[in-house]
Amino acid sequence: MAGKQSERFDDVDWDEISGRSAFNLAINTKLLLATLAPLVALFVYDRVYVGEREALFSRLAADLGATSAFETIGLTGDLQSLDFLFAFTLLLFAWYVVLPLYQNPRMTAYYWKEFKRNRPAMLSLAWLGVVFVVGLLGPLIISPPEQNILISHQPPVYLTVDAANVGRCVGQLTASSCHGTWQHPLGTTNGGKDVFKTIVYGMQISMKIAFITTSIVATIGITFGTVSAYAGGWVDEFMMRFTDIILSFPTLVFFLLILYIYGASLAMFIVVFSVFAWGGMARYVRSKALSIVEEEFVKSTRISGASTYRTVRRHVVPNTASSIITNISLLIPGFILAEAQLAFLGLGDSTLPSWGQLIASGRSDLAFAPWIVLAPGFVLFLTILAFNFLGDALLDALNPEAEAEAES
Amino acid sequence: MGLSRYIAMRVVWAVVVSLVIATVTFLLLSFAPNPAIQEAATQAALEGGDPAEAKERVKELRGLDEPLHVRYVDFLRNVYTFNLGWSDMRSQPVTEALTEALFYTAQYSIPWTVLTMILGPLVGLYSAANMYSWRDHAATGFAFIGYALPNFFFAIILLLLFGVWLEWIPVIYNTDVGVFTWANVKQLILPVFVLVTGGIAGTMRVSRNESAEYLNADFMKTAKAKGVSPARAYLYHVMRPTLVPLSTTLVGQLLAIFIGSSLLVEVVFGIPGLGRLTYQAVVAQDTNLVLGSTMIFTFIAVVGNLLEDLVFTVLDPRINFDDR
Repeated sequence: MAGKQSERFDDVDWDEISGRSAFNLAINTKLLLATLAPLVALFVYDRVYVGEREALFSRLAADLGATSAFETIGLTGDLQSLDFLFAFTLLLFAWYVVLPLYQNPRMTAYYWKEFKRNRPAMLSLAWLGVVFVVGLLGPLIISPPEQNILISHQPPVYLTVDAANVGRCVGQLTASSCHGTWQHPLGTTNGGKDVFKTIVYGMQISMKIAFITTSIVATIGITFGTVSAYAGGWVDEFMMRFTDIILSFPTLVFFLLILYIYGASLAMFIVVFSVFAWGGMARYVRSKALSIVEEEFVKSTRISGASTYRTVRRHVVPNTASSIITNISLLIPGFILAEAQLAFLGLGDSTLPSWGQLIASGRSDLAFAPWIVLAPGFVLFLTILAFNFLGDALLDALNPEAEAEAES
Repeated sequence: MGLSRYIAMRVVWAVVVSLVIATVTFLLLSFAPNPAIQEAATQAALEGGDPAEAKERVKELRGLDEPLHVRYVDFLRNVYTFNLGWSDMRSQPVTEALTEALFYTAQYSIPWTVLTMILGPLVGLYSAANMYSWRDHAATGFAFIGYALPNFFFAIILLLLFGVWLEWIPVIYNTDVGVFTWANVKQLILPVFVLVTGGIAGTMRVSRNESAEYLNADFMKTAKAKGVSPARAYLYHVMRPTLVPLSTTLVGQLLAIFIGSSLLVEVVFGIPGLGRLTYQAVVAQDTNLVLGSTMIFTFIAVVGNLLEDLVFTVLDPRINFDDR
């Protein structure tokens, strides 16, 4: 809806709606296009002008003659293709998830009230909010964790360990025991890497996985499901059989094979896992779409002359949204866990500091330096738990009847 | 369409799925650089030979100079007859290495699968029978935590606690002990426990929701009025209809845990099973072994899904095959 959306049915300005042309874009799309333009420009600039080994932002600063300004806000790094994709999904999230919540205050207030009754879910949302903000902004502020063999095995703040196990104690040294400092709030690993910094960088990886896989899975799943339902006949049969095959692929093992052949990177992980995860959603959207086209309101929309695209976009997809959201919130923790598992085995992207890698690096020192394993382990545990609680609460709030359906 | 026709169709479909997966694997392998060829070229260059010639020789040796379709047919024949070639890493045929590994994987996989399949529905039923009481909340909370706690992390912590500090169980897996000995039980108890806690959660949640539907059904009231014992009422009248929807998700869930966790749990506990073998093969760049082990996991998944569908049709006589 362009401009403002009427809150109640009798407030709707019908003249305005009937006078609108078909090419009138919604405000969300306009905002998306407006914010997408600089991103695309940056991407093209990166591809065309910036050399292979040059950092994007330092080159841009030099070209614009504003190096000092860029350095003060900390923009000196480079962007990978994955970062562009991440930024794009963030824009999608902002304009198509957050903005509509603001545009429909009545609906938002209702769901918020339903959602608020579930206390674990509120805590989960708060925790995921922290992971999101810290993962997004933390790496801009905090420098990447660095190897420093001299300060290995520093204890977390307020804790003490026997000084014999510590490289060179950074904090206070009293009676052969080393105290932790705020310099390394969660201690350091055997290579002297700061545990807290690594966890912050790991949060960014988890957020990238969450946002990018969600976008890919939702796009493929919804498109496949609705096209299959609308096409019918042998096209439908073929597409659903294809979905069956996708569903029966053992993704983790298959990823091992791909990793073995082509090498590991986070982008490869995200692509492979999301390309094999949309099967369940496509099936669900299809069955829902098949039942919705039989509903009276869809028939009346069609008689009024709505196109198939409009019917799907405005009636079928919104009616399946609750299950899509729930499905996704239960898929994401699986992806995050898979990434951590692969990183733990040393089969992930070894250039990125991640939680799984941290757990693996602390395994041998577990007896005297348990924080190296415990800190990332609990962060991983809490994140997966939070997504599960959130999925359950969203299921209750958005679609009380669907409880049994989405569970199975 | 009758039941036997449906089963026949389903088996044919399983073969088609495995064929598709094998084909994708073949295409992936054939369009990627083969480490063995690179190695031979490097070797030849180091020894002062001709790298190009060495490449050709290795290709000829491995039959890679044949046209694509010939190699494809060969590949399929080898995969389906389990003739998977020679493993350089283990210095034995791949099939032999896989069978040996399967022996160790089965030793802990069978106990945890059986325990999960028995305990999961029972805990779910118990939870549903005490719906919204503290018992229900405790069981649900346990399920959530078991589900969210990463298996490999949990395994490390338990190994530290019981293996290193309390010294109740051995830290290093010993392959010399017999299968049915106390020592073997002691070293497998932790992996089984970790996998059961992870596996129960999903099963328990589904069976809790499903059985809640039947607890107040009319046939339950009739059964109670007739004076059926509670054990029979719950186990026979509620459990049986619950198992039908449960069986549609159970195999998928168990397979996901089996594939994901066996890899991790075997590496953490040092069990020389399938998962660890796959991991070592990837690290050691042993193409035949990587291919063989991924194929084994794929076949387990395909056969598992097939069995699930067949069990489903046997369990639920209400399904009408005319619609399919």
